[in-house]
Amino acid sequence: MLLEATNISKAFGDFQAVAGADLRVEEGEIVGLIGPNGAGKSTFFNCLAGDLTPTTGRVSFAGAELTHVSAEAHARAGIGRTFQVPATFEDMTVFENVMVGAFLRHSRRDDARDRTLSVLDMTGLQQFADQPARRLGTPGRKRLEIARVLATEPRLMLLDEALAGLTPAEIQQAIALVRAIHASGVTLVIVEHIMEVIMTLAVRVVVFNHGRVIARGKPEEVVRDQAVIEAYLGRRHRADAR
Amino acid sequence: MKWASLVLSAALLAYPLLLPDPFYLDVGLSFLLVALSASAWNIVGGYAGQVSVGHGMFFGVGAYAPLLVFNLWGAPPVAGVPLGIIISLILAVGVGTPTFRLQGHYFSMATIAVAELIRILVGTWPLVGAAIGLQGPAVGRAWWDLTFRSELPYYYLFLAVLALLLLITQQVERSRFGYYLRAIKSGERAARSLGVPVQRTKLYALMLSAVFTSLAGSLYAIKTGFVDPESGFGLLISVQMVIIAALGGAGTLYGPLVGALVLIPLQTATNDWLGGGGTGLTYILYGGIIVLLARFEPGGLHELWYAVAPKLKRRLQRKERPHAA
Amino acid sequence: MLLAQVIVGGLLLGAIYALFSAGLTLIWGMMNFINFAHGEFVMLGMYVALLTVLWVHGGPAVFTLAAALLLFLAGVVVYFALVRHVLRGPMLAQILSTFGLALLLRYTAFWIFSANVVSLPQTSLSGVVNLGGIFMPLPHLVAGLAAAALTLALHVLLTRTSIGSRLLAVAEDRRAAMLMGIRPDRMQAIAWGLAAGSAGLAGALMATAYPWSPSVGETFVLTAFVVVTLGGFGSVLGAMLAGLIIGIIQALSAFYLGAIYKDVVVYALFVALLWFRPQGLMGKA
Repeated sequence: MLLEATNISKAFGDFQAVAGADLRVEEGEIVGLIGPNGAGKSTFFNCLAGDLTPTTGRVSFAGAELTHVSAEAHARAGIGRTFQVPATFEDMTVFENVMVGAFLRHSRRDDARDRTLSVLDMTGLQQFADQPARRLGTPGRKRLEIARVLATEPRLMLLDEALAGLTPAEIQQAIALVRAIHASGVTLVIVEHIMEVIMTLAVRVVVFNHGRVIARGKPEEVVRDQAVIEAYLGRRHRADAR
Repeated sequence: MKWASLVLSAALLAYPLLLPDPFYLDVGLSFLLVALSASAWNIVGGYAGQVSVGHGMFFGVGAYAPLLVFNLWGAPPVAGVPLGIIISLILAVGVGTPTFRLQGHYFSMATIAVAELIRILVGTWPLVGAAIGLQGPAVGRAWWDLTFRSELPYYYLFLAVLALLLLITQQVERSRFGYYLRAIKSGERAARSLGVPVQRTKLYALMLSAVFTSLAGSLYAIKTGFVDPESGFGLLISVQMVIIAALGGAGTLYGPLVGALVLIPLQTATNDWLGGGGTGLTYILYGGIIVLLARFEPGGLHELWYAVAPKLKRRLQRKERPHAA
Repeated sequence: MLLAQVIVGGLLLGAIYALFSAGLTLIWGMMNFINFAHGEFVMLGMYVALLTVLWVHGGPAVFTLAAALLLFLAGVVVYFALVRHVLRGPMLAQILSTFGLALLLRYTAFWIFSANVVSLPQTSLSGVVNLGGIFMPLPHLVAGLAAAALTLALHVLLTRTSIGSRLLAVAEDRRAAMLMGIRPDRMQAIAWGLAAGSAGLAGALMATAYPWSPSVGETFVLTAFVVVTLGGFGSVLGAMLAGLIIGIIQALSAFYLGAIYKDVVVYALFVALLWFRPQGLMGKA
């Protein structure tokens, strides 16, 4: 068991964003996290990544307890994440962005440089290496974020809507990249709205609504689950879907 | 830009020989001193983006320490330099540790408050000269008192320290520490997610900055032979560091030098023209420049240059080939 | 009895601190922006009061109104001319913007008014009041009570009126507010107007009781920082309470340690707060 999150709840004042959510991820899996907007996916995600501390519950990674540990420590332990709204370092070049990631495991500049170049190669960003990150469009920034995280040599990558806003052609490229990353030995948890991506990539899916997990299972099964359909389309459509 | 730095180094080295008049030497010394202080500020304020507006606290500590050891124990002022550095480091840890875990504003507010606090305390404490301040040796007892008749040796001493700081800054720029500083400035949350130890890194930057700011203060006190609460801890010291680094380009290696190159002659000129009312109007000018910088070009002249230079180049090329469409 | 007098004096001054700090915390809570020139708004309010008295021979009602209105306008202008642009930019620009403004305003005031300490000519409010053994100069009493009332009024304005709830909506969630038809830009400008106006008002009130010079802005802004931190990020109610507390602490420090140290204690308290309770009484850091 690589990642185990048990009974995670997160409250902001009176508002219960996440309630009693569980997640278990084995090494080598690709797990999808889906649910309507405001369902609590991002909050849950942030609890896994160490950006937020859960109000209750435990998160353990590779046997180590990570619930109350800082985001930096999460990264050092081997959990990497991307952001829903890309948070690339705008003032720095593409190369420099990835270097920041590479420096996590390589304190010497030359070693970090080697790692950076290989990651840029893998993600197809070599030709943009010297461009400032702010000159990239959104798809470029998303890919840069992925490259940057990849440079930290994570065992688990949490992708937060990394494929949103891409054209169909770009989506295919992105799926290929995610597959390649997976093939290199990284376990993935993906939050996504685009069903095609989830169906193609995820081996297992967990569905959120109103801060709770309402369904789990293989993508094909989950998509036909009544509770899931209700969550996305509302009660009225349940009859039509039958 | 390699040739530019070579030309600059040559110019700085040759300056006192080319313009030996004491007036020009004095201007040169002012330039080196503010360039040094601003470059020190630049590490934490420019690269890491943690805006200290009370950096004078380190300068003042560095200025008082040498004169204090001289007045208390008759020791050569140079012996006070390490003392100044140690106290500055303690201050840095005291101010940075609680504030770097909070949002950036707290750090800025704390720097002003602590600088003011120290200025007032020093002004009432007889041991450190209270409002009158401290004086250094009137006549040097030996060479290590560093009381030179001419200002020339001071010039080269300041230049050496400045060169050392710039060298260190350059190394930092290329190192993991430097990349982490810029990442923190660019986006703390993202930096954290990549394993950057944000709080610790900011603190180290502040400490490094404090060391060299203290050193600048010490050099000032040794050369001038005098310090008081205003010249050590006054607001002007803090303001000058910020404006010079920001005007030239905060977060760039040569930004503070460029800023000093522009501002020192300007300040000397306004002080001359306006006589007694000089310092007041200097502040008004500084305030105005800072507001304009913030509003229009926070990246300073460095940013402005890189925005304008390509356009100029194209214009020039077009002039050379008027027939080209 | 003397101690009681010191405390009451501290409370009255503290109420004035609360009034001008409320504006600072409003801006901070709403836009995540610290106005380093806030002390200068107070100082300018004091000079507006002086000039109103000298040129128009207005009484307290006139000059406090003048200070409030003129500074309200100044706040709006500063927002549109400067703040609005730097809000979207780097931290360096944000901090430098009002820091530079503070220098500009302070030293322009030095240039125009010189460094002389001035005070308001005797107004209708003069004399000393006997409150059961405690002797309070009437101006101090009136200024303090007026400040307390006005701070409360500001709190009521923010929490119980429609404009207040619109301001708070923008503070809470800009985009949601826009979707509800509220214009964030306009609301932020109004917030700046309120903040500057209340600072100017506090200044005018203070002018009736204390002498001043252009240098007071620096001390006021630092005091405001401490009050706002003690009160808690964004909390006007917190600022009210904290203002009173700081007023008392300052008065007691002056009484026991001497006038020179009254500010030192407050600044030292600030550092202690940052170390041990940065969220203050009511807020979240």
